[in-house]
Amino acid sequence: MTTNLTVARQMVGADLLRLAKKRGFMALVLAVVMAPLVIWAGYQVIEHASNPAAYGPAGGIHHFVKMLDMLGIFMGPVAAVLIGAEAGAGDLGAGVFRDNVLTGRSRLALFLARIPAALAVTFTVIAIGFAFGLAVTFGFAGGLATPSISLILESAAWLALANGVVCVIAIGVASLTGSRPGTITALIGWELVLSPLLLQATTLGSARNGLLDGVLLFLKPGPASGAPAITMSVAVAIAVAALWVAVLPALGAWRTQTRDA
Amino acid sequence: MCTRARGVILIGMRITHANRDNGGPAVQIAEHGAPAVQTVGLTKHFGHRAAVEDVSLTVPRGTAYGFLGHNGAGKTTLIRMLLGLTRASAGSATVLGLPVPAQRARALARVGAIVEEPSFYPHLTGRENLKVAAAVRGPGVRTRIDEVLHRVGLENRANDRVGTYSLGMRQRLGVARCLLSDPELLILDEPMNGLDPGGMLDMRRMIRTLVEEEGRTVFISSHLLDEVEKTCDVAAIIDGGRVIAQGPIDELVSGGGGELVVECDDAERAAGLLAGDTAVHELRIEHGGLRMRLLAPEQAGEINARLVSAGVVVSRLEPVRHSLEERFLEMTTRLEVAA
Repeated sequence: MTTNLTVARQMVGADLLRLAKKRGFMALVLAVVMAPLVIWAGYQVIEHASNPAAYGPAGGIHHFVKMLDMLGIFMGPVAAVLIGAEAGAGDLGAGVFRDNVLTGRSRLALFLARIPAALAVTFTVIAIGFAFGLAVTFGFAGGLATPSISLILESAAWLALANGVVCVIAIGVASLTGSRPGTITALIGWELVLSPLLLQATTLGSARNGLLDGVLLFLKPGPASGAPAITMSVAVAIAVAALWVAVLPALGAWRTQTRDA
Repeated sequence: MCTRARGVILIGMRITHANRDNGGPAVQIAEHGAPAVQTVGLTKHFGHRAAVEDVSLTVPRGTAYGFLGHNGAGKTTLIRMLLGLTRASAGSATVLGLPVPAQRARALARVGAIVEEPSFYPHLTGRENLKVAAAVRGPGVRTRIDEVLHRVGLENRANDRVGTYSLGMRQRLGVARCLLSDPELLILDEPMNGLDPGGMLDMRRMIRTLVEEEGRTVFISSHLLDEVEKTCDVAAIIDGGRVIAQGPIDELVSGGGGELVVECDDAERAAGLLAGDTAVHELRIEHGGLRMRLLAPEQAGEINARLVSAGVVVSRLEPVRHSLEERFLEMTTRLEVAA
């Protein structure tokens, strides 16, 4: 048992090493998350500085809510998809999967080691973005209201959930397809284009409860978030999110075990 | 000792010949315990096409074993079956005495293998790639990284990104990765591919050291006949998915009996003396001497005694040594003609 835990820890560490040391990739992921935040915050700071009467302070609760949207709905999930795709198909792309299989280690263990490593990288990147957003929220609040500690903690947990779920799904899809570009294209297309469109399609009725974006928006914390596009019970929301997290990674695990190495 | 069955030349596995690379001490092959690899009737079909057909191999422990064949002959498919990467259509295999794929994980824990060319994460250094491999191998393996890097002569480049390595360096790093778990058996698929002459020499020496000094078994697939002849003790030749010959290299190249060249003062008379001898075949006069094929190499002494006792002055009596390449082409051509 101790040996298995040691091996599991080593394998997660190895996956973390291969992700974190891919410097160009890490720079891209950070840029995807940080660039919109920095540009948007900088624009608002300049606006406010140039005409304080017409434009309010850049920080405060409104900035915080917008920042949550960017990190939890738009750029954060894009980064999570990039990281998940790399974690899920990186060893296949480099041709190292076969060598890992040749060690006799279970393929399921090889698959499972990808998840904590990718989540660690995703959470780190999102945490950097969140820290920057908080700094702007409080640093440029002026006389505006700021979020409470409990809202900040709830928001951090929601960001972890939203991005973690997308990252795990991306690992599953990448392991299933074996293709990073295919996974990135399909999931970003779904996340940024198709899913928001379906979410707005009221003709779909309660079928929209099955959309992950709808669930995540429904679970988004704070009264300042506004009304969610769709409503459902918390139990249904959790069940739908769990289904997404279970099915696609399970398919990825199955393909990892059956794939011709 | 040479017998034929179903078109396969089976040559005895008793090996006591010297290291042909550097003329070092004779290698006595350990015969105790299960063979390093054994297959019985191993077959793999892709649809109606047979990639490997009824292959029965025995790889003795403590040897460098060459698995020879043209590109597409079925070498890599057989290796993939041995390593449990693909299932056999029929037949059985054991690796280090353990049946595969049934006990694949236990067997592979004692095996280091490179299938096709070794792959690495190009953005990681050589040392980091070995760290990743060691993590999958198990606890304690990481402590061997420095040792194996030194073993393959890469300690000075260990902290450079693998993307900057030459093919030869990647091959050596691949061997280092194989050695991480201190394996009893190494399976190297075309390890000489793409190497320059210096790289081939390094690889050959490394393989000989692994066998002679460390007692490991090294199974090498290759289409480079000359390299296998220089590196290996035992070989099997595969053609069209079937093993057509296997045995010690020396016996393989001599064809089990051997050709003999005799130089003497009267070739015509010597030919007359040996003409009716049942041990002598294909006797002919060539360049003023005699050339013949014997049933067994040991009969050379008897031939010498007969000629000398009949008053023929023998100035030279030498077995003809073919290259493995010549034997390989001879065997594969013979099969093509028979077909």
